Amino acid sequence: MSLASNKVPEAAPLVEMPDDLEAVNRLFQERRWGDGLPIVPPTEARVEAMLAGTRRRRHDVIAHIAPGFGAATVERVAINAVMAGCQPEYLAALLAALDAVTDERFNLQAIQATTNPAAVWLIFNGPVARHLGINARFNCLGQGAWANATIGRALRLVLQNIGGALPGDMDRATHGQPGKFTFCCAENEPESPWAPLHVDRGFAPEASTVTVVGASGTLNMNTHAKDADDLIRAIADSMAFAASNDYWLGGQPWLILSPEHAQVLHRDGLSKQEVRVRLWRESRMAAGRMAQKDLERTRISRRAELGDIEVSTLLPISRTPEDIEFIVAGGPGTHSVYVPSFGDTRAVTRAIE
Amino acid sequence: MAALTVCSDAFTTLGRAQAKALGQPDLPLAVIPHPFGLRSRDEVRAIAETCAADIVRLVGEGSVR
Repeated sequence: MSLASNKVPEAAPLVEMPDDLEAVNRLFQERRWGDGLPIVPPTEARVEAMLAGTRRRRHDVIAHIAPGFGAATVERVAINAVMAGCQPEYLAALLAALDAVTDERFNLQAIQATTNPAAVWLIFNGPVARHLGINARFNCLGQGAWANATIGRALRLVLQNIGGALPGDMDRATHGQPGKFTFCCAENEPESPWAPLHVDRGFAPEASTVTVVGASGTLNMNTHAKDADDLIRAIADSMAFAASNDYWLGGQPWLILSPEHAQVLHRDGLSKQEVRVRLWRESRMAAGRMAQKDLERTRISRRAELGDIEVSTLLPISRTPEDIEFIVAGGPGTHSVYVPSFGDTRAVTRAIE
Repeated sequence: MAALTVCSDAFTTLGRAQAKALGQPDLPLAVIPHPFGLRSRDEVRAIAETCAADIVRLVGEGSVR
């Protein structure tokens, strides 16, 4: 069997391998070309089939990926998509996500090499979610949906294999997080009372987009609050923690509101902007809650924005209310999710071809 | 122009790989021990003095090369 690998910038070389799944996986493991899970061997035939999923030319360079700055050609991305188990129709979405993470506002260099567990969270909006079967409802961050599992996995393989961010080498994450295997969902647009994320970000409702977020993790917030004031207070209180990159840097924290929580806020008359402003005000945290060393670095990092910071200063989680971002996703239930950010990163949205 | 990077020993793998990726495989690294958190002021001063000497040496080597 001939396998395409991704060692050179232009055409990927062919590597002769035994026609044996276990042997192929052993070799990929030895060469550190995987994420620890078995891969689908990227044979010439499978890579050709994958390339049918885009109109982009095979050797076009989508980006050079930090920190190793390997050239991500369409072909090399397709190889990693095969390895991850993607269907060919996912490829265009993966290429758009890759284009988004290499926008300098996302700060991929830092996200790839940091000790922070930062992962790339992919949020899909528009018709693409339905066409590809990207789960936005029950268990949308969990197992079970092929697209959620394999698109996020493929991006991770690209970032590691082409970008060179191997754990312990150039990926210096102290712990990492499960979201570094895959972290991918769609917005539950039919059950949101507000305009969807991509429309807020200037795209037409009928556009298909992917938004990338530098996410430090997820925190579940289970509350039966039945009025907006109570719910805002409980969420804002959950967002404020002393060892947070967002408070240190003035970041861009995210929330995934369940449809039930979104309905509580909407029923009580809150627009998305009003939700942002309320959360921004109510999540302010006394600077003295931070460790002394963290307070000292916050005094430096946020001086231009906030002036002198005292122990009693109420630190906003982000520079502006508009930096608090959220989508509506998930199934029935009184749970929402807080997604603290890496801090020194901004989400980027791209249209999918 | 001479250039070098100060890097703690937990991050030299990243530092060397990053320098190579950016086309500077011979970039000198002045390496200091990791971490700093529990070190006394005197220990930090000793590390700084060693590091300063390393920087002078590495810059000197770079100017000869």
